[in-house]
Amino acid sequence: MIKLIKDEANHQLIEITVSEANLENADAFKLQVIQLLDTHAKSVVIDLNNVEYIDSSFLGALVAILKHAIAMKKEVILINLKKDVHDLLLLIRLDKVFKIYSNYKEALTHL
Amino acid sequence: MSINLKKILLVDDNQLFLKMLSKAFKKSGIECITAESGLEALEILKTITPAAILSDYEMPDMNGIEFRQRLMDDPVLNNIPFVFLTYITDKELMVKGLNLEAVDYVTKDTPVNVIVSKLNNLIYTVHKQQELSKQELKKAAEALNVRSIPNKTPVVDGFEINFWHQPYQDIPGGDFIDFIQVDNRYTFIVLGDIMGKKWMAWFFTFSFLSYVRAAIRFGILSNDYSVASILQKVNNVICYDDVLKDILSSLSLLMIDNETNQISYSGAGDLPLLHYEAETGQLKKVYADGILLGLLANSVYTEQRINLGKNDQLFIFTDGMIDFSTDKGKKSDYDGFTNNLKSFLNKSYNFKELETDLFESAPAARVDDCSIINIYRTA
Repeated sequence: MIKLIKDEANHQLIEITVSEANLENADAFKLQVIQLLDTHAKSVVIDLNNVEYIDSSFLGALVAILKHAIAMKKEVILINLKKDVHDLLLLIRLDKVFKIYSNYKEALTHL
Repeated sequence: MSINLKKILLVDDNQLFLKMLSKAFKKSGIECITAESGLEALEILKTITPAAILSDYEMPDMNGIEFRQRLMDDPVLNNIPFVFLTYITDKELMVKGLNLEAVDYVTKDTPVNVIVSKLNNLIYTVHKQQELSKQELKKAAEALNVRSIPNKTPVVDGFEINFWHQPYQDIPGGDFIDFIQVDNRYTFIVLGDIMGKKWMAWFFTFSFLSYVRAAIRFGILSNDYSVASILQKVNNVICYDDVLKDILSSLSLLMIDNETNQISYSGAGDLPLLHYEAETGQLKKVYADGILLGLLANSVYTEQRINLGKNDQLFIFTDGMIDFSTDKGKKSDYDGFTNNLKSFLNKSYNFKELETDLFESAPAARVDDCSIINIYRTA
């Protein structure tokens, strides 16, 4: 579901390993990332390069993670979004609440 | 999590036995996911929810009892029917296992076809029981007259209002619709979508609808007919409601003013509406700027006026309308939906015809609840 790619001083980089982010894996995803946040108290950069489709349950999980992070004064950053996924996030204005960057390098300059 | 009725999880450190059982289950139409240890099984269960788990008792590292214990500690996993598979006919062990709510025991010398039948019966019985509970729930909801989708549309002078709704897999879900006619002049139109699917989302539609209805009514009482201010109130209440923590919803709120023939609109994380201009044949997007309800307290919502010319139409819809599955997997395609809709409208399809020829045309490709409301300016 998620793979920890990098564990840096102020953030962790994780990758979503599934191509279809949906109801079936949304709960597990939410629990795992919230656990990471609680244990390490670091911002999280989520790499979505594998994700072709994201449904509303999974978006709900992402937002729940963001709310959890905001309460801890940490950030949730999304990177490497496929066009369809990015378009959907723009359509429902989630770009107003998530920091979205095209790649990890760009995200680093804002961390 | 949705449960796959045709998938079970087999846990055994004996590879040969796993292979043999998988083959037998496959013959009866059940797919087996196999794990050689409790730890591997727990990893698999992070992404897949099988219809049942059949686990060996004696395994290195983590035995069956420990594995079962771990599942019991998890609120989602402890509901999956669990059957012990063992050589041991140790009474003490049986009692231990039954205390862990194992549904049954199967000894390994049982003929394979009997094991398969037993599991089949178990899955069928559990599924049947769940179906019955759902039926009871539906009946209770109907008896209480709680509806997240209305059964008729309002009659508004100069406009025609239609809607189409299709729950995902025939299970009520997170979409909700409401029409509130305050008087002869003002009519409110509500379309929301709780993030999530099926029952869990459905339960929360009532909380959201209650807040929206209350905010509209309180607004009217204080002569506040601003849809943006209503959304703002709803969002604030939801953000402070502990029960709705982590529950988010999109919402399109519109109000038709029959006297000025204007429509005011405010949206929270909803998809852009589509305005069909009869004169030009163009289908234009109408963007709102508000974010999802329940995300941030004190979010600002703004409103805009939409002027429909004669024979113009407005379409308000949830994401189920733009999501569908293809050979290459699932896809969200707002522009694809827009282009399709436009071509039908330019062929003068009315809403009834759109329903049958466009919305209902590929039911198997649907992946979520679908709702669409249509406002047609007749005069």
